[in-house]
Amino acid sequence: MVEKKVQSCGKCLVITASIVILGGLAFLYSGFYPMGADVPHNSLTYWVLETLRERSIARAASNIQVPMDLDSSDRLLKGGADYNDMCAGCHLKPGKTQSDFTLGLYPSPPNLSLDGNDHGHDNHDESNYALQRQFWIIKHGIKASGMPAWGPGHDDERIWNMVAFLKHLPELSSDEYQILSARNVVLQEHGH
Amino acid sequence: MKTKILPGVTAIMSLVFALSVQAHDPKEHMKDADAPDCATMKNMDQSKMDMDDPVTQAMMQKCMKGMHNMKEMHDNDETVHDAGQENDESEGHTNDDGSTHNRH
Repeated sequence: MVEKKVQSCGKCLVITASIVILGGLAFLYSGFYPMGADVPHNSLTYWVLETLRERSIARAASNIQVPMDLDSSDRLLKGGADYNDMCAGCHLKPGKTQSDFTLGLYPSPPNLSLDGNDHGHDNHDESNYALQRQFWIIKHGIKASGMPAWGPGHDDERIWNMVAFLKHLPELSSDEYQILSARNVVLQEHGH
Repeated sequence: MKTKILPGVTAIMSLVFALSVQAHDPKEHMKDADAPDCATMKNMDQSKMDMDDPVTQAMMQKCMKGMHNMKEMHDNDETVHDAGQENDESEGHTNDDGSTHNRH
């Protein structure tokens, strides 16, 4: 009696799993899912992708060693110039609230010149994990998000310089940002 | 046949890799680089500037470096200018009539 119940339950599970898999495949091949970046994911897809991303980064970044000298002015200067050249177009800078990239990319790149609370991420949390997370994301990028992996062309020290700059970015005025991020050290007013 | 192609393919791949690494050399960005607008520091509230703050230290370092570079360039200009003057003074120019004069 019990064996029969277990057998029928097993059959039910197999049939249900088959229906789910076939239904999923049918949906996948139907082409009905909107792939355009101008149509947001539904909340379930968004939750799945966000959870997948955050869990993956948390696992991969947990053993990264954070340098002790992230507050050095040298790191700020080097990181500032790189941020301006490589990141500001998408992640903005003080005094700028949007760009073509922030309007068009999906998910929209976080505005890193704002406090973590203001742009919905904990990127400016100075905890060890926040720094590990930023380093990992800059180095490895994030699939299908528009965030490239900078690791292949930039060594770890250079990436840590950017992390150092990100720590202070939300507190900078546009004038301070301009001075820190300008790569050319010869003053503008020098007319030669 | 394959062994003949291999060194060529390896060389091209190495070249592509080398160029891709150089692409993000900071010097590559220098062409369009802005100079720091250190004049804005004068308008900042000096009393609120904390010299222990890494941001303040970095700004000072950047602007001091710029001023140092400016001074060096200025000094170099003066040296070249002075040397030019000295050369002019010591160098005589021979005219068609055989007389000499100094160019000022």
